[in-house]
Amino acid sequence: MPRGTPACLALITLTAMPPPALEIRQLRKTFGTFRAVDGIDLTVRQGTFHGIVGPNGAGKSTTIGMAVGLIVPDAGEITVLGHDALRDRAAARALTGVLPDGLDLPERLTGAELLRYSAGLRGLSRAAAAERVTELIEVLGLAKAAATPLADCSTGNRKKVGLAQALLHAPRLLVLDEPFEAVDPVSAASIRRVLRRFVDSGGTCVLSTHSMMLVEQMCDEVTVIHQGTVVAAGTVAEVAGGLPLEDRFVELVGAETTGTDGLSWLVR
Amino acid sequence: MSAGTAGTALVGTGPVSAAGAIGTPARMRAVMLRRSLRENPGPAVAALTGLLAAAWLIRYAVHGEGDTLSILAGTWVLGWIVLPLMLGGGRGRVRPSHLRLEPVGSLPAAAGLLIASAVGIGPLVSLVALAALPVHAAASSGSPGAVLTAGLGALLLWLTGLIGSALALEAIGHAGGPAGAVLTGTFTGTVMGLFGSVWAVAPWITELLAGTPEHIARWLVYFPGSWPLSAAGGAAGPFLALLAVVAVAAGGYFALVRRTLVARSSWRPRLPHAAKPAVTTAGPRGIPGGRWGPGPVWAVAGRESRTWARHPLRLQYLTFAVVYGALLAGLPMLAGTEVLVPWAGVLTALWAAAMSAGLIGLDGTALWMPLTMPGGERAEVRGRALAWLLLVTPIALLLTVAGVLLAPDVDPLPALAVLPAVLGAGATLPVWVSLLRVRPVPDVRHPTSADNPTDIVSALVASGGGLVAAAVPMAWLIWGPDGTGGVAALLGIAAGVAAWFGGAWLADDRLANRGAEVLTAAGQRTRPPETVIPMRIDAAWYRENRATAWALILLTVGWVPVVPQGLMVLVLDISGGWIVASHLTGPARTGTAVAMVALGGAMLLTGLVLWGRRPRPAP
Repeated sequence: MPRGTPACLALITLTAMPPPALEIRQLRKTFGTFRAVDGIDLTVRQGTFHGIVGPNGAGKSTTIGMAVGLIVPDAGEITVLGHDALRDRAAARALTGVLPDGLDLPERLTGAELLRYSAGLRGLSRAAAAERVTELIEVLGLAKAAATPLADCSTGNRKKVGLAQALLHAPRLLVLDEPFEAVDPVSAASIRRVLRRFVDSGGTCVLSTHSMMLVEQMCDEVTVIHQGTVVAAGTVAEVAGGLPLEDRFVELVGAETTGTDGLSWLVR
Repeated sequence: MSAGTAGTALVGTGPVSAAGAIGTPARMRAVMLRRSLRENPGPAVAALTGLLAAAWLIRYAVHGEGDTLSILAGTWVLGWIVLPLMLGGGRGRVRPSHLRLEPVGSLPAAAGLLIASAVGIGPLVSLVALAALPVHAAASSGSPGAVLTAGLGALLLWLTGLIGSALALEAIGHAGGPAGAVLTGTFTGTVMGLFGSVWAVAPWITELLAGTPEHIARWLVYFPGSWPLSAAGGAAGPFLALLAVVAVAAGGYFALVRRTLVARSSWRPRLPHAAKPAVTTAGPRGIPGGRWGPGPVWAVAGRESRTWARHPLRLQYLTFAVVYGALLAGLPMLAGTEVLVPWAGVLTALWAAAMSAGLIGLDGTALWMPLTMPGGERAEVRGRALAWLLLVTPIALLLTVAGVLLAPDVDPLPALAVLPAVLGAGATLPVWVSLLRVRPVPDVRHPTSADNPTDIVSALVASGGGLVAAAVPMAWLIWGPDGTGGVAALLGIAAGVAAWFGGAWLADDRLANRGAEVLTAAGQRTRPPETVIPMRIDAAWYRENRATAWALILLTVGWVPVVPQGLMVLVLDISGGWIVASHLTGPARTGTAVAMVALGGAMLLTGLVLWGRRPRPAP
């Protein structure tokens, strides 16, 4: 707040400020003796595209899993659009759309049936479900996957169906874990457009990814997680600090091996 | 290869040596077995039960009749082949597909895989049980030559079981698609129905144990179970026939392994053709996804109904339940016993419940969807139960009506009174059990029969709930005033409704409070935190972990009434100062032993429930 701002104006500003779309405080999770998440703080402002990056095993998916209620944290607070996600789960769930990574789907349903099932679970009316499912199939290029049992769909098509079900109930917060993995470039471009429109209209999108290019292209803010803690957070430009984001990322998380030593038996 | 250090033997610069290819799978299997023994008590309990049965068989061999022993030995081997198909015997096995990327020849691979199959509790217990054959030869003839021949014959019979089991798991287990599923279900249901009918007609067993009737004995010459003792009697033909059976089975297994390794193909069903959609996109009125009921519960029920119709293992379980139930009730008619015929529907419902006790594991981590939606847990439980009820009720009713029509002289009231109780319990209790004991399948998208996630404990608990509910109307029929059968029917409905709500409450509670834990177990990607149990008396720990402590006590002590006080009296007819039933005689002795089994069962069930509700460990 600028110096000299009257106190009442500051109060009005604070009151009018919308709550963060996702706020995480001192989140911790231990599996056995392995501390996967160690006191993470994260704030995602409404109407932004927020990237979460980190090396394999950094704790990204665990953090996302806890944020959406699929993993129970050992300690910490999670707030979704002003609702305590740990105590008022129903309200948080109603506002959130989720695309987890590596979890199964009801494999015997077709893509279209999965969307109808999801619509039913969300309590959408028959007319709304039919309209939205039809549009999502068309916009995301799901005509083939919509008619094929998910067990027989490619990874990319499964991702697209998963994304469609996350969007179906028009959530205000989208939490996507590796949404572009195995998705072809044409579909990826249309998904990016859909997500950009969603964010431009006031929605919030949190995505976990390994692609620094994607973060640079799409995200307003980024959080870098390493060994269960936040090592950098801010706007993409702030975190990059004038370097290409990928170089900065490697610098932040520290490369464990350079790839130039050892393996003499492999290189002849 | 994914077996840790064992795999390093196969990673190198050229083809693996034959000795390495043969030995490595066995070492992999040993590592898997050791881990499984460390992680859960199931295999140890199975081993104990199997050894008790084997001990009884050897005891019978000393004084019993040869033909009957042959039937029992052959039945044992048949059970060894068939039961793993139903009870997940493929878990923890080393399979041909595990060696697909290794430079291993088909013959050493097949030999190695068979040796690996021999590492386990089932083969060990079976070997002990089949020792009954040389024991019988020694007791009846005393000739060393006869004992040696019977021993070699027993070994060949054991090899038949070993190879047959591996063959069945790979061939039948991988025969995907609805037709394969229905065939497998029919086959296993028929075999179990034949077993079950034997148990249902107790006098037959007594007659059989006293001596095989002539009309059965004359067919034994075609039954491989009788060949070891026939060979011991001096006939060369049966021994050669056994050798031929083993050779044919081994040849079949080799061909199957070769197909997997060389042709690089599996028995997985083909994917639908890219250009040809498997299911039409639009429903009856052009709506994508077809017709769905309103609201979250019907959404889950719709998903479940479609899954029941399309999932090969679910189809197999349902077919098994129908065939088994119908045969169990109908086969005794061959002996002129019609009393079970109207119970076909009840028995089918009970088995359908038992076979539904592992469906959460079968669906993998698909449970995440309801867990991210408001009220999703409740809808998941009720939707699953509703779909089961809608599926099983018409089948059970049809079989009951058919049974009543086939046996007009049998009073249908008991079966009709019990049916709603069993249906009510069967709908919701398996949901709870499968949430409590999640056993995920390795490949959710393309599971095989060998991946059956329903273990014997889950099946018993799920069907046991139905029996408890059925006890209410049955008790009224037995001890209630005459001429009040209508009350029993009402009690059956009430018991069914109560069981429905009881099971739904337990499942709701489990999913709402431990949903994330269930999901983790279904994915097995990370192990949930273990409950730390102190190795000394700790009052503070007890105060905070009362449920855990009681669960441990009940799960430890509950076996005492079941095994020594109950089963050992019933099966081995033992006596002893501290065994209560041994101080009694006749029906009182049997009744006390049965009551002990029931008491222990209740203790174990309560222990299991408390273990599921134990407090989470501190972070």
